[in-house]
Amino acid sequence: MNSLVDRFSTTSAQSEIRRAQALAADDEEFSDAAWGSEAGFGSLAKGVPTFSVPSIADPSAFLRLHTDDHADPNCRIKIQHGTTTLAFRFKGGVIVAVDSRATAGSYIASGTVKKVIEINPYLLGTMAGGAADCQYWETYLGIHCRLHELRNRERISVSAASKYLSNLVYGYKGMGLSMGTMICGWDKTRCRVPAVFYVDSDGTRLKGDLFSVGSGSTHAYVSTAAGHRDAFSGNTCNLYHIKEDGWHFIGNYDISKMHYDGPGDVPGGPGKGYGYDIRVEGRSSANPPPVAT
Amino acid sequence: MDHFPLSWGRPRNDAVDAYGTFPIQQRPNHGQDTFSSGIQHTQQPIVTGTSVLAIKFKDGIMMAADNLASYGSLARFRDIKRLHAVGEHTVIGAGGDMGDFQYIQSIMDELMIDEFAAQDGHALGPAEVHNYLSELMYARRSKMDPLWNAILVGGFKDGQRFLAFVDLLGTTYSASTLATGYGAHIAQPLLRRAVEGREDTLDAAEAEKIIEQSMQVLFYRDARSLDKYQIATITAEGVKISESRKLETSWSFAEGIRGYGAQTQ
Amino acid sequence: MQHVAVPHAQPQQRQFNPYSENGGTILAIAGANFSVIAGDTRQSEGYSIQTRYAPKVFRLTDKAVLATNGFAADGNMFVKKVRQRLEWYRHAHAKDMPLRAIARLIQTMLYARRFFPYYVYNILGGIEEDGSGAVYSFDPVGSYEREACRAAGAASSLVQPFLDNQIYFKNQTPAPGTTHPAHLPLSHVLSLVIDSFTSATERHIEVGDGLEIYVVLAKGSALQGLDAIQGLSELTTTDDGERMFVIRRNLKRD
Repeated sequence: MNSLVDRFSTTSAQSEIRRAQALAADDEEFSDAAWGSEAGFGSLAKGVPTFSVPSIADPSAFLRLHTDDHADPNCRIKIQHGTTTLAFRFKGGVIVAVDSRATAGSYIASGTVKKVIEINPYLLGTMAGGAADCQYWETYLGIHCRLHELRNRERISVSAASKYLSNLVYGYKGMGLSMGTMICGWDKTRCRVPAVFYVDSDGTRLKGDLFSVGSGSTHAYVSTAAGHRDAFSGNTCNLYHIKEDGWHFIGNYDISKMHYDGPGDVPGGPGKGYGYDIRVEGRSSANPPPVAT
Repeated sequence: MDHFPLSWGRPRNDAVDAYGTFPIQQRPNHGQDTFSSGIQHTQQPIVTGTSVLAIKFKDGIMMAADNLASYGSLARFRDIKRLHAVGEHTVIGAGGDMGDFQYIQSIMDELMIDEFAAQDGHALGPAEVHNYLSELMYARRSKMDPLWNAILVGGFKDGQRFLAFVDLLGTTYSASTLATGYGAHIAQPLLRRAVEGREDTLDAAEAEKIIEQSMQVLFYRDARSLDKYQIATITAEGVKISESRKLETSWSFAEGIRGYGAQTQ
Repeated sequence: MQHVAVPHAQPQQRQFNPYSENGGTILAIAGANFSVIAGDTRQSEGYSIQTRYAPKVFRLTDKAVLATNGFAADGNMFVKKVRQRLEWYRHAHAKDMPLRAIARLIQTMLYARRFFPYYVYNILGGIEEDGSGAVYSFDPVGSYEREACRAAGAASSLVQPFLDNQIYFKNQTPAPGTTHPAHLPLSHVLSLVIDSFTSATERHIEVGDGLEIYVVLAKGSALQGLDAIQGLSELTTTDDGERMFVIRRNLKRD
């Protein structure tokens, strides 16, 4: 009852504070941040973090005007984007492979991006679309996966984790988030199988054996050609293998080197690349066919 | 006509999207730059004041603004005051919307009354006033409801000169010579040449001469200016805002100009 | 479910662009036990130089330095807010926030404005808790990455390729029997920084006037020839911690 009175009274201490806050007119949270320990995710008791939005009729049109367009030079605020990612399920777990290029407009903002986000020791998320959207929300997902463990005394399933993320971003549908991600892991408790879920910012969530996300995805479905064919993909490739005991980082490979020289002496691999010399082998006097021995 | 040389004879704005890979016809709004046309380089709103000038000199700060408030191209109010004293140590001068500036004046007056009432032995100096204004202007731009002004803050307190700028976006900077609006393009180069490196030797008379000449050039070239203006001087002695004074101008050379307007020969 | 704090005020302005662009360039390079963070001091809008001295590089703690570039009002206000949060942290924990935590703090602060972004490119440099030099770079909405070097701002597309070549040794083949060094010495890094800015000043109209280079040295490391540099002044406040220096130079003013 007291709280009800407080809420509507104009003379109580609370209303004084309310008025002071309205005067300060800053939406950013003062309360818990003052203790310095939270990094900005806010007290989890409050649920989801809050965001400031410009006070205009159509905030997403505002965002569209200023950000998020590859080609339009009017959009000054270039947000970093990631592109080619792929993951598939097989007998031995899940393989996750991503490139490392981030573009801001048509500028290659970075060639060393970690597009695999290590949510926790047995869950991986991939990054395609807005780099910040993926980094932030998958970190946030990590917090909630840990909370799930603490509350339920067992690991969260890949299915539940991906659903948490998909429900979360669905709440922002149409506001300009852009993420296409695959949540990959090995379920320990119930089904005891590797799992891959595709989640995107439209709210789509799909279970599957093989996904490829990003502008290089069509090439990636075929083969390392993505890094070679798609201008928004490239630089290096990070490879992860998820086994029953969690994920393992396999390595970082140079895509151009792989394209031209081949993957090296890998079991089952062709052992050679797709370079100019190999393609024109035997077709010119400068590059005659190998002499049979 | 587009006066920016970078966009002459070019189909697209390569200055920004230096590696543009998308075909031009697929871009929205191609041909015009919505970002820079959205920026208000000068003032747009209803009743407007034009440039304010200010320089540092040996004993403090000198600031000047004319007495005109325009209504579009109409010279509507010819006796408006655009320099305002805030406390004992500070003067603010504004271009842009005069309504917004008068609102700012009332806020600053209220603030100084509150400070006086506190009787805590501290007086707000020019640096504090400038910081307060920058927070105010930035907060209003963040609400998408800006106070449409460009303001110079000049002052002298505790043996220190202070001169800084803040505008409707909350952008701030300081330098030994400052000018807002049209003056930033026309008067600023003259002020820089006259003042830079001589801030500690210029006396009040010399400073006044420099300001006067710059106001004169502005009156010749800025169609929204007036030959009636005021000068504020802020020194260790405090704030002094002069009465309105008249610029001495000479138009006799106009007779010799041929080629513009109606002439019989 | 209400996720977003939508202000209750009605739509108020029609044609107002809350952003501007103030030019300039920033740059940071991490070494084995030091970090160098630099920026020019020109602030401009369009073709007008607003001032020849407006710092873009800010000391946050004894071992962290933040450089901001883009829209100056957003940048200054953002630095103010970061410093406030760091002070709250000091009051709560009686120590400075570690560098990697500052990096995460900056991410969440930037992302809180995902729908009304700060038009600011940030580069954070300093010393990690393990004593290594570090550079973190951010995009305007908070995606970030630890790197060895990064240039941002107006002349980033001029400077970054130079750094790729000189620091990451991109498109360079080492002489037979040798390898590229993993970390460059401080004196070499400083000359790369100075060359980057003098070159950017030559080729970009928004870069020039002055150069401010912050150098953070890890605890107990030698000066590595720093004392011979002209225009150096020391900012260190403690006797036994990291040491911080700033080098101020002139750049061409045309």
